[in-house]
Amino acid sequence: MAGGARNSVSGLAKEFTFLMRWAFSAFVLYLAALMLVAVPALAQTQTTVPETSLTDRCLTCHRQEYLGRLQVDEQQKDLYVDPAAYKDSAHGLLPCNACHTGFSHDPHQMVTNAEFFAETAGEACRNCHDDQFEMYKQSYHGTLTRDIASDGVEAPECVDCHGTHAIQEVATLEYRQSIQDVCGTCHGGRESTFLDTYHGKAITLGREAAATCVDCHGAHSILPISNPQSTLSRANILSTCQQCHPQASQGFTTFLVHITPTSPKAPVIVFLVAVFYLVLIIAVFSFGGIHTLLYIYRGIKDGLYFGKGGH
Amino acid sequence: MTTGTVATEGVRLVYRRFSAFHRFNHYLVMTSFFGLVLTGLPLKFKDSYFSQQLMNAIGGVEAAGFIHRTSAVLNILYFVLEAGYMAWYVAARKGPIFSDDSIVPGKKDWQDMKGMFRWFFGRGPKPALNRFTYWEKFDYWALFAGTVLIGGSGLMMWFPEATTRILPGVTLNVALVIHSNEAFLATGVIFIFVHFFSAHGRPESFPADQVIFSGYLPVEHYVHERPLEYENRLKDGTLDQVVTLAPSPQRRRMFGWITAAVTVFAFLAATYTFLLIIWPLVF
Repeated sequence: MAGGARNSVSGLAKEFTFLMRWAFSAFVLYLAALMLVAVPALAQTQTTVPETSLTDRCLTCHRQEYLGRLQVDEQQKDLYVDPAAYKDSAHGLLPCNACHTGFSHDPHQMVTNAEFFAETAGEACRNCHDDQFEMYKQSYHGTLTRDIASDGVEAPECVDCHGTHAIQEVATLEYRQSIQDVCGTCHGGRESTFLDTYHGKAITLGREAAATCVDCHGAHSILPISNPQSTLSRANILSTCQQCHPQASQGFTTFLVHITPTSPKAPVIVFLVAVFYLVLIIAVFSFGGIHTLLYIYRGIKDGLYFGKGGH
Repeated sequence: MTTGTVATEGVRLVYRRFSAFHRFNHYLVMTSFFGLVLTGLPLKFKDSYFSQQLMNAIGGVEAAGFIHRTSAVLNILYFVLEAGYMAWYVAARKGPIFSDDSIVPGKKDWQDMKGMFRWFFGRGPKPALNRFTYWEKFDYWALFAGTVLIGGSGLMMWFPEATTRILPGVTLNVALVIHSNEAFLATGVIFIFVHFFSAHGRPESFPADQVIFSGYLPVEHYVHERPLEYENRLKDGTLDQVVTLAPSPQRRRMFGWITAAVTVFAFLAATYTFLLIIWPLVF
């Protein structure tokens, strides 16, 4: 019976070997199937083609200068966006709909009523700059409305001072150099008198620390000087000057920034000195010029310059 | 030579017009004035292309301010020295104050000026000029008075906090008007209309008069340029006070080079001023 037992043992071994071969084949097939499915998937996650950003999709059309303007109620909206200026701006990494909150459709529906813009203006900025927006709301600018008929003026909103697509960091020299022009858009004439002071000359020529409009008048929380809360009110002006001039006294604050010396509206002493110099400079330069020209004329006529000489 | 001996070959006689002190003072005021105009004009003409270029070249507005203030201190030093000299001259009775020979303007200057205009139009001979001509007196006193005005107003703006502790803020407004206009006037007078013409452009000095650097001019020139002073000294017998032997050839060459260098620099400075002012008017 021992032989039969041996036979049955060898039969079992055969059975086992067959099973092993089958299992191995199945395993290989399984691996092959896995590779067929998983490797392309893995490869795909490693070399993803960058998804087109929303900004790029919007710019597909809005980079075209021939897009022209859109009439929205009373206003002309320029549809062109300079891609380079936007990407270099402080917001260059934000998608368009971070500010244009109503425009999630792609392609979007045309918006042709001003109410839509009025609702989103400011509110869009507020999403990130809430502190500044609250200060603005308390300021003189914030109390005005966009209705010229009721206020006599049109309230400036965030974008009127900061710009839109080319918005810059406010601490840059370029932006600081443009501030008086921004303010001058509505407060015309004030920028030229500012530019004639040392502050104005220094900022124009590149001294970033030189004070501009907002350093004295305030920015988001700006108020008329007549308002006691103003940075330039009687109570506050000294501490405003002292931000840069710690040694300043009350007398220091009576320096007049916005005057034209040659205008009769200037303080009489300034006006008289300015006119005196105007007359003196014209008189001296005219007399000196005539004297010089006549001297040269006589020198040439008498041949004194070269040759026989006057010596 | 009245002694009858033959003058040795190479002996040159010169007229000593300026002492070492006055020459030093001129160097001082000259270098500081260049520094002040270079860094001050861009502020007055801030929109000029050259103003921005200059500011960039010297390292910005702060650097320009440093140069301006350093030059201002040197300029004030000139003034202190000159005022001290004047006080000493008067107190020690060093010489006449109101004579024709002095720097103080007098009646003869008015007559000289009329005489010069007659000469310009060919209606008379060139007047016999004395030690200091009327345009030299104008130059001297305009600079002296201008330094008081520009220096005073400049110091007020340099220390605005201290100034307004004593005076009202409008003082700084007046100071700016004075500083800016008086400096512009001085630049025009010195670089274009009076001084540079007198030192470089007149037929008598063209292309450059080195007397302020060397202190002397050849006697032959002196006799023709200041005939009245020469005549008076000849009469009074004081000619030997001012006529001496010429300096050594090395020193003469050195003064020649200094004069040439200053002339080139003066030409560049006048061109810079002219372009800086003209640029915004044209472009």
